[in-house]
Amino acid sequence: MRILGIDLGSREVKIVVMEKDKIVIKKKISTMKFYRDYCSFDGKVIVDLGKLDIGEIDRAVSTGYGKNNTNLKLFTQINEIKAHVYGAMYQTGLKDFILLDVGGQDVKVIKVEKGITTDLELNEKCAASCGRYLENMANVLEVSLDEMSKHYKDPVELNSTCAVFSESELIGSIAEGVSVEKLYAGVNYSLYKRLRPLLSKFKGKQLILAGGVANNLAIREYLQNDYSEIISIEEPQFNGAIGCCYYGSRFLRED
Amino acid sequence: MLKKIGLTTTVPVEVLVTAGYSPVDLNNIFITSEDYLKYIDIAERDGFPKSLCAWIKGIYGACLENDIKEIVGVVEGDCSNTRALIEVLQLKGIKVYPFSFPHSHNLKDVEIEIRKFMNIFNVTEESVEQTRQRLNKLRELAKEIDELTYLENKVNGFENHIYQISLSDFNGNVDNFENSLKDAISEIKQRKPINRKVRLGYIGVPPMTGDIYEFVESLDAHFVYNEVQREFAFPRAITAKNIFEQYYDYTYPYNTTFRINELKKQIEERKIDAIIHYTQAFCYRAVEDIVLKKQLDIPILNIEGDKLNVLDARTKLRLEAFIDMLSDLKEAN
Ligand code: SF4
Repeated sequence: MRILGIDLGSREVKIVVMEKDKIVIKKKISTMKFYRDYCSFDGKVIVDLGKLDIGEIDRAVSTGYGKNNTNLKLFTQINEIKAHVYGAMYQTGLKDFILLDVGGQDVKVIKVEKGITTDLELNEKCAASCGRYLENMANVLEVSLDEMSKHYKDPVELNSTCAVFSESELIGSIAEGVSVEKLYAGVNYSLYKRLRPLLSKFKGKQLILAGGVANNLAIREYLQNDYSEIISIEEPQFNGAIGCCYYGSRFLRED
Repeated sequence: MLKKIGLTTTVPVEVLVTAGYSPVDLNNIFITSEDYLKYIDIAERDGFPKSLCAWIKGIYGACLENDIKEIVGVVEGDCSNTRALIEVLQLKGIKVYPFSFPHSHNLKDVEIEIRKFMNIFNVTEESVEQTRQRLNKLRELAKEIDELTYLENKVNGFENHIYQISLSDFNGNVDNFENSLKDAISEIKQRKPINRKVRLGYIGVPPMTGDIYEFVESLDAHFVYNEVQREFAFPRAITAKNIFEQYYDYTYPYNTTFRINELKKQIEERKIDAIIHYTQAFCYRAVEDIVLKKQLDIPILNIEGDKLNVLDARTKLRLEAFIDMLSDLKEAN
């Protein structure tokens, strides 16, 4: 059986196809392009599976964040908490963990016990604790996200809690001649500092990192002190779409 | 008119009824009152700390406001906060009779405590046994309602909760309460079963937030077990040889191991999919969650209540996420 999972993100749509529990196709399309070139509208959004070029599909499951969670015709829609938990379970085989997902526009912390969500915290109000913040700061520093994320030693203090004020604080530090490495580390550390209060309610042993921040080495380094084990999943951006496939293969009943 | 006596938790009520008292469960007056927040407020104004379980403060307020002059205070086996509560009530001129559920949880010690209790109230074992037989008739009816809940799915979780818990003081009048139980049973039997997807067990102290029952029903789940409420109703009293055995075979005040055995039995018998473990903010019982999660091989969600008598948004979200995934599992099986 071939199952299609689609995660409708704010900037990219992630597409995964699973066959017999194995991922066989993975692709990303910009959200704009996805709706413009691959969909039509007839009361509900209809995805043109032919254009996606993914072959025959037996079941299709979608998830998405907030307003992006558009109802696709012929898709079973699941909420994104569940999608991410299932994605993490598929990728790690674990049943007890804390999942930290820092996306472009939101942060999710989810506690899973015995394979079921028991606690969660969502922060969707503030840009200063999610991926977009890192991107903006990297832009100001004229450095790639990848490069910036490698630096964790000796961070410069950035105290502002707000993304906008942080920018001027950063520029202030640049003007004072602080080394770029310290500035990079400072940006990473300031994100970590904002995640910490969210995480403090979620003590546990194993922390799984998902979302863009899973690739951020500095943040992993800082989190190392708070958990006995930090687990990164291989395909952090595809986690939600993978979770959709997992749901489709395990739980979805044939109508 | 019978003399009222306040209870801070379930005690051998057979003794009190034999002695001619009308027992009043202070918990019930507190939580069913529209003034419940006022009761907490009264306690806080009299100096009870903010960081103390709302039940204790509510009981205090309820006791003073409802003109209760005598109470039974449980000094062992219940919460240690009760001891402090009793001292303050004594200061206010309320007469306190002590009772203990011995930590040893051994039948001999339970017997000693109950005999002391009978002496305080000047009643004989024979007369207490007569009362016990009388009250067992009501316990049997409550048990029947419980069975109609989990065997026939004709009683919802909230009704089950209310009927079981009312056995702590028989709503103040044994005969009237017996009649209302009988009426309820014949009405319930006419009902069609209510089948919901997920079968839940409610364990831990009874909730401050009574709306939890209705809320889970909106998610296609229902409670088919109310642990402590059922214990308060003593479903096994009917087979106990005497009052000593009855209060020995009671899970609420003793150690967790004894409690876990009963929980396992009920989970099995009632085909429960998952457990909601309710604990109260600032209560030591939240620690028991660690043991329960380890010992019970079933998903458990621990939620915590504080002063409000309705669920907060965060708890609702957690319940939703939990039950959503449980339904997936059920679908798969
Ligand atoms: S909920 Fe806990 S703290 Fe409160 S009265 Fe009961 S045992 Fe004591």
